[in-house]
Amino acid sequence: MSDNLLEIKDLSRIFDISKPWLNRLIEREDRRLLRAVNDVSLNIKRGETFALVGESGSGKSTIAKMIVGLLAASSGEIRFDGVNLAEQSPTAMRNIRRRYQMIFQDPFASLNPRWRVRDIIAEPLRKFGMGDMEGNSQKRVDELLELVGLSAKDGSKFPHEFSGGQRQRIAIARVLSSKPEFIVCDEPTSALDVSVQAQILNLMRDLQDDFGLTYLFISHDLSVVRHMANRIGVLYLGRLVEVSDSKEMFRNPRHPYTQMLLEAVPDLHMTGRTRVKAAGEIPNPITPPSGCTFHPRCPLADAHCKANIPPVVESNLGAVACFKAT
Amino acid sequence: MSDVLLSVRDMVVDFPTRHGLLRAVDHVSFDLSRGEVLGLVGESGAGKSITGAAIIGLIEPPGHISGGTVHLDGSRIDNLGMEEMRRIRGKRVGMVFQDPLTSLNPLYTIAKQLIQTIRTHLDLTEKQARARAIGLLEEVGIPAADKRIDDYPHQFSGGMRQRVVIALALCAGPELIIADEPTTALDVSVQSQIIDVLKRMCAEHGTAVILITHDMGVIAEAADRVAVLYSGRIAEIGPVREVIKQAKHPYTKGLMRSIPTLTQTNDRLTQIPGTMPRITDRPEGCAFAPRCGHVMDICRSQQPATRSVGNCEVACHLETEGGAS
Repeated sequence: MSDNLLEIKDLSRIFDISKPWLNRLIEREDRRLLRAVNDVSLNIKRGETFALVGESGSGKSTIAKMIVGLLAASSGEIRFDGVNLAEQSPTAMRNIRRRYQMIFQDPFASLNPRWRVRDIIAEPLRKFGMGDMEGNSQKRVDELLELVGLSAKDGSKFPHEFSGGQRQRIAIARVLSSKPEFIVCDEPTSALDVSVQAQILNLMRDLQDDFGLTYLFISHDLSVVRHMANRIGVLYLGRLVEVSDSKEMFRNPRHPYTQMLLEAVPDLHMTGRTRVKAAGEIPNPITPPSGCTFHPRCPLADAHCKANIPPVVESNLGAVACFKAT
Repeated sequence: MSDVLLSVRDMVVDFPTRHGLLRAVDHVSFDLSRGEVLGLVGESGAGKSITGAAIIGLIEPPGHISGGTVHLDGSRIDNLGMEEMRRIRGKRVGMVFQDPLTSLNPLYTIAKQLIQTIRTHLDLTEKQARARAIGLLEEVGIPAADKRIDDYPHQFSGGMRQRVVIALALCAGPELIIADEPTTALDVSVQSQIIDVLKRMCAEHGTAVILITHDMGVIAEAADRVAVLYSGRIAEIGPVREVIKQAKHPYTKGLMRSIPTLTQTNDRLTQIPGTMPRITDRPEGCAFAPRCGHVMDICRSQQPATRSVGNCEVACHLETEGGAS
């Protein structure tokens, strides 16, 4: 059995955002393609929390959706527990799909407002044929509700009766009901207030310890990522620019973009650390800059960076895609 | 002329509904000096945006200010009519909202919007107004401002749009800017740039700012003083450094500990149990009592009065009792 639960190799996703065929013909325009994810390779080990960070438009959520199968990959492969997901028959996929689940950002949109909480949580049980007997699944739902810090009698309520944090707990209970090994968390606390965020993050860590879960944790908030992740991958315009151990990355960020992101985090405790200010914004992904896509914002960029795309170089410190990284 | 630019005293904002009167802001008082940045921080539903909107008379009916006073530069503004208020808004008080795309009109160029705003409030010719607009855009850091001024809002990126909105707020040289979550829709690397622009512009123009945000990090970066709102009331108000480093109210303390930081190493975050009570079922007494670790009998029955403690003002019975526990 391999150490890696999830292996992603050269994954890309291209969106066709061209105008309709006739318009293109009349206006003599070419097809327009948006490369949301560009040759991303990464491995996630069993039991770890791997975080993907990046600004909006960097492709974090697109990767998450491809992993859980909500979007098809344009090229590349995703292997879950050694099995290539693209090559599986629908029946085999059913079994595999039970083993990974996803928590979404917006707990107001991800729960069906017309369903009782009990039915929401029991849906994966029904889908995967796990709660064959009615009483059986009932008991499991009650257990799950208590597990995430709600009470069993909350099962008969509707989602609108709960606050944002409680709804995210319901979403977590639903995810856990099919006993998954791997959970993709797409900005699970971004819609929540800070005092509630702490509750949810603590709950997620407790559940990881109790059930040996593996997380792919997607966030734009570096402080949250630092708190949750063992390893971190930094995305910029659809490319992975740096992957390294969480502690290592915060102590010694190697890619200039990672350094810039860390500098931009507000100094909450007013330690008065001196900071180099971030410059510029993420470019339009339809017309990305040539060579290293970060070069217009990079203080170290030279002619070489403008012309060539830096390869991902692996070392014992992690992986980094930069000509200037030491 | 006094140093105090804005003085809010015991402001109450009510929303009459079918289910009775909802009190969104409950006896909020604070002063703002010229050129000062005051942060209003709190969770969603704490009343921070309503406080900001009430100051400039932008509460949607049937909501209304049902008590207290607001003085701008010594003259009362909370009881002014629509027309008089309209003249103050934009001229003496500028506004920056969260989403830069909705605060700009997509059908007009930036030039048109800036020039129109400038000419509404200042007696300038079209040409002078345009020159002033270009100057403002340059100040907020828009490259090639003389060309970009003729672009439409959709041609700007998110960060650039927010810069335009800041320029728009500064058009008539206001004494006060109310910025409601100005960086929430932006990425972190852009957020720090916008905070810088806001801070720099206000320092140069001597404009005071009310910075409304849920993000303590932004407050730590930008504000001089901060008011922590909880359930429609000010829990604690004081200089940023003191509130962040030596919080006195149990809510502020808990809030500060529950935010993950880049420097802390412990495994678990300290969490405040429960959530803020809904506006419809606030408890009697202190609104934080059900979640508070130091709750006493008096907290459940009596609302704490605001007391001065050092440079801060704190509304907590622990302080009134002289730290009895």
